[in-house]
Amino acid sequence: MRSDPDADRERFATPRRLHPASMVLGIDVGQIFNLGLIPLVALFASGGAAVLVGLGALAVVTLVVRVLDWRRRRYSFDGSELRVESGILGRSLRSLDVGRIQQLEVRRKLIHRIAGLATVRVETAGSASEPEVELRVVSESDAQALRRAVRAAKARTRGPGGSGSVCDAVGGDGVEAGALTPDEAYVAPVAAREPVLAVPLSDIVVASVTGRRLLVLPIFIAAGLQVAGDAVDQLAEWSMSRLDDVVGVAEPLFGGGFGNGLAAGPDWRWMIPLGVAFTLVAVAVAAITGLLRDGGFRLARVDDDLHVSRGLLASRDSLVPLARVQSVKVRANWLRRILGFVTVEIRSAGGSAGGGGRVTIPLVAASGVDRLLTEILPGVPGLPTLDAHPIAARRRSVVRQLIRASLLAAALALALHLGGWLGPWTLAATLTLPPAGALLGIAEYRNLAHGVTDRVVVSRHGALSVATQLTPLGKVQAVGGRSGPFQRRLDLGSLDVHVAGPSASLTIRDASRPRVSELHRRLAARAARSG
Amino acid sequence: MIIGWRVSAAIWTALVVSAAVVGVRFLRPDLLIPAVAVAGVAGVAWVVWYPRASLHRWRWRLTDRAIELRHGVIVHRHDAVPYFRIQQIDISQGPIDRMLGLAGLTVTSASAAGSADLPGIPADLAPNVRAELLRRAEASLGEQSGDRDAV
Repeated sequence: MRSDPDADRERFATPRRLHPASMVLGIDVGQIFNLGLIPLVALFASGGAAVLVGLGALAVVTLVVRVLDWRRRRYSFDGSELRVESGILGRSLRSLDVGRIQQLEVRRKLIHRIAGLATVRVETAGSASEPEVELRVVSESDAQALRRAVRAAKARTRGPGGSGSVCDAVGGDGVEAGALTPDEAYVAPVAAREPVLAVPLSDIVVASVTGRRLLVLPIFIAAGLQVAGDAVDQLAEWSMSRLDDVVGVAEPLFGGGFGNGLAAGPDWRWMIPLGVAFTLVAVAVAAITGLLRDGGFRLARVDDDLHVSRGLLASRDSLVPLARVQSVKVRANWLRRILGFVTVEIRSAGGSAGGGGRVTIPLVAASGVDRLLTEILPGVPGLPTLDAHPIAARRRSVVRQLIRASLLAAALALALHLGGWLGPWTLAATLTLPPAGALLGIAEYRNLAHGVTDRVVVSRHGALSVATQLTPLGKVQAVGGRSGPFQRRLDLGSLDVHVAGPSASLTIRDASRPRVSELHRRLAARAARSG
Repeated sequence: MIIGWRVSAAIWTALVVSAAVVGVRFLRPDLLIPAVAVAGVAGVAWVVWYPRASLHRWRWRLTDRAIELRHGVIVHRHDAVPYFRIQQIDISQGPIDRMLGLAGLTVTSASAAGSADLPGIPADLAPNVRAELLRRAEASLGEQSGDRDAV
């Protein structure tokens, strides 16, 4: 499909309303919950016909508000500014410069997909708890056209004579985006571009069953067994009481021993198959939710934007300008490290909750990371070689882990003692914790490393789960060095490299002090320039 | 400045020490005297020694590119916020500050964690410092060749 830039531009030049379906689909369930919770509770407490009347009134009020809101909410895009006018009584006008956009996302829930609708979310830098602009909902063709128009506008501002693209700023080697004229870049349909990365379904299943959510599996199983155990107990008690009724006089025969034996809890023959069943269910649930959320994951590079689409039923299409990538985090927990996989997190400065400023690639083979980084951070040939930290840092990490493990062991021993379970075996198990902590400290030191090239600063840390964070030098906002008393004794220091966005700072911990001050000087000088 | 820190430290100490003393009085009346002694020594150190050491360690300067801070008694800190990255400058004055004729300046970048606090600037100078910082931020923006957007 060849789209006409002018048509798109004209389409949004005059203020438009959202799709009429937004009267229903635009309802913010959370808001209703907040506003209506107290009246609702009061209603249900009063009971009877009042419930129906009250619910009816609530529905009518909601509907009226929604209709008015729909009539009064208009959005427009004139090629440089996205404007949203809204408000029933108090009017608000929000205008957003196209160059400020950190991330644009088109979300479609299942119901949206059936009805051909979409939600458009636009993020700017900031720590607000909600996206800067959210159009909920517009027709799918409007959403696509708006996205095309935004892209075209960005291409125009980048065009001849205009500076400000990331490609100019980084010197352009390996980046050919400047070769496209704005209109060429504009008409190229997204789907025709070669994807940088498509994560196959099998990988998404692997990602889901090795992920963080599955690490809480033991808790899940324990809770499940607890519930099942309670149920079995209840059942036993109930059947015993029935038995009592039936047998009645037979009670002395059992001497109470039978009943007590059952009441003492379910035996292990119940527990093992139940545990296996819960494990299977948990793995299946993790795999299915992972598939629904991330199925069909595709990452494509179109000029200097990253397009990310994922989701089988509810889909999310994000557009992240490469110039807005604040940091990239390559993570692997111990299980994925054994299997040779990592996840990659791309962070922009979009500040809204719910991972607004974050795009996570569920699973990549560790060998493919370099190629991926080249695409996400232009001019970065891959993970640079990293420098290890001075051997004194090992002492710090061992001591830190040792203290942590010892505290844990002490707490555990206390709990066991209070519970009356402190025997030779449990004590021995508790005593293995501190040595394990020391080993963890050594592993942590082995993973500790950092590096700086002329494009990025990199920090790697973690004991079992290892995270490597890369931040483009041009995105560094501020730097802070610090050294505590123990660090000073070992001639060590830490460096905090601050970038925009929530909790995105990069920390280089326990490097030598001369190295910290050298990096401090270099990074601060680099942060005084743009690009 | 040292007086301001001392006053707020003294207020906090008075609150914490009295709470601790009341707690000890009810839980272990036999330990009351040693507890008061320990709390008293810690309180005096906190009120007399710490603010002085803190002030002694506190340095800030405007280099040609960035505002730089060196401070911290126990953990030594060295922060730098380049003028180009300044997004916002706030002046604040608490009641103790007003009594002493002081003001605090907070220089914020696009990263919430990467901000610089300058406490205890004479209140009549604070607007000048802010104006100077704004001027330098403006100038650094003018020097940029490519992208002028700091985020």
